[in-house]
Amino acid sequence: MSARTPLSAIALVSPVQLMIGGIIFLPAIYVFWLSLNQSSFGQAASFVGFANYAKVLGDAYFWKALVNTVIVVAVVVHVELLLGLGMALFFASGVPFRPLLLAIVLAPYAVSEVSAVVMWRFLFEPDVGMMSRLLLSLGLPPIEWAVNPSHGLAMVSLLSIWLHLPFSFIILYAARLSIPSDLYEAAAIDGASPWTSFRRVTLPLLMPALLIAALFRYIFAFRLFSEVWLMTGGGPARSTEVMAVYLYLEAFRYNAFGPAAATGWLLVLASLLLALFYLRRLYKETFARA
Amino acid sequence: MPKLLRHLLKLVGVLAIVAWSLVPIGLIAMSSFKADRDIFSTSGTFAFAPTFANYEALWSRWGDFFFGLWNSFLVTLGATVLAVGVSLLAGFAYSRFASKGLQASAFFLIFIRLIPPIVITLPLFPVVNWLGLNDTHFVLIVLYATFFVSLGTVVMRTFIDQIPRELDEAAMMDGASQMQIIAKVILPMAAQGMLAVSVFVIVYAWNEFLFAFIFTTTKAKTAPLVISEMIGAVEGVEWGVLFAASTVQLVPVLAFVILMQKHLVAGLTAGAVKG
Repeated sequence: MSARTPLSAIALVSPVQLMIGGIIFLPAIYVFWLSLNQSSFGQAASFVGFANYAKVLGDAYFWKALVNTVIVVAVVVHVELLLGLGMALFFASGVPFRPLLLAIVLAPYAVSEVSAVVMWRFLFEPDVGMMSRLLLSLGLPPIEWAVNPSHGLAMVSLLSIWLHLPFSFIILYAARLSIPSDLYEAAAIDGASPWTSFRRVTLPLLMPALLIAALFRYIFAFRLFSEVWLMTGGGPARSTEVMAVYLYLEAFRYNAFGPAAATGWLLVLASLLLALFYLRRLYKETFARA
Repeated sequence: MPKLLRHLLKLVGVLAIVAWSLVPIGLIAMSSFKADRDIFSTSGTFAFAPTFANYEALWSRWGDFFFGLWNSFLVTLGATVLAVGVSLLAGFAYSRFASKGLQASAFFLIFIRLIPPIVITLPLFPVVNWLGLNDTHFVLIVLYATFFVSLGTVVMRTFIDQIPRELDEAAMMDGASQMQIIAKVILPMAAQGMLAVSVFVIVYAWNEFLFAFIFTTTKAKTAPLVISEMIGAVEGVEWGVLFAASTVQLVPVLAFVILMQKHLVAGLTAGAVKG
């Protein structure tokens, strides 16, 4: 490897680098500057130091949104990985009409958040929705997603799991298929039970894929906006807001750009922190290969 | 375990998977052909007289929706061409050249994916307004493409890595320029990868809500945004019309995903394993 980059390579990567640099990276840095200022539309910014952070961290709605986000992310990602793993193993054990079933599993990947909200609201419409009636006939209490905050968040979680399960499933299924079958034959010859061969063969070999899927899902679930916005709008009484909804409302409804920017930077930091171990490994790999 | 029981369990598993994936989709597609009185009727779940009334109402009262579909189409097309084009160039460079600077910039590609889209709307909103780009297709095309070029580049590099270098070297001997090599040698052989990248961008751009919600109001409003307005319409939700709109919005992209299944799986694995 050379220390200098050929000019033609620079030319080839520059469109991509300019796009992500100019539209994502620089604005993200600028958000940090915004977070240290007090500003609004058409108003000159004035430097206030960390006052915006103090304001955000002193806001009960911020903490409510943070707690909601952490709960929803934890539920969504872990349930999704568990279901995805179960389905991957189920598929690997041989299923009838595999290509067709695979297409069916992938179908929710094509559905927009907006349409998914329509579907799940319809299923759980109080009194008349199909699931509401099913719960009623089983003697269970109805899901009151519009009035009860924890029910609202449960609906959001359900919807998110439904939308993103195809992603987790594909990652895990591809990883499962790449495990050579002679490992299982060898385990069977050694008299391993299905459970033992799962624990000793499948799980360790799937671990890298599980970690990758978990990381990506943590980071993307943390950005959750549309599902909440369209399902509950953060209500009733701001009780179901998540971080992105809180940020949006601060910026675009309350015109509090400083606190919104501070929230934004806290979001960025949280994402970086979540991905720290992955970035470190990637950094080492990237430069070790050189 | 007896064979019969195993078959039975497998059948239950298959049915559960099918129900989970298809009931929400099938239910709104089916209900879009129901008259209002049948939509919530218990007896009419399957037995109902199909009607196009909802689609007619959608056509006559929500002309905005079809305008939104057209906008979605233009934005999706633009974002896909842009993202696939620049990802092909960068993917080629990362596959064929190596240097410290390139390694660092490859790391930057992945690092950038950690920044949540909503964060950058704060500084971009005033800038977009100031440039007069608010409510244009252009702003959505650039944003959608930008959020997929890093994944796109990683996927393209993975695919281009599999094309033997001897082919570019042979073309170079024949006096082909870099761009000619990409166009004549790499492009035809990297078509699989380009399809994989385009599946991601198309599904994302066709369905995206957040940026459309913040950056468009009337002229470049996309279909998902119109549907969200229908959900929030003041006079209460008109379920039948809403189902018709959701179905129309969903069918093309669903058909596309099923058709492109193989490429989607290949792209997801190539993208996730490497970055």
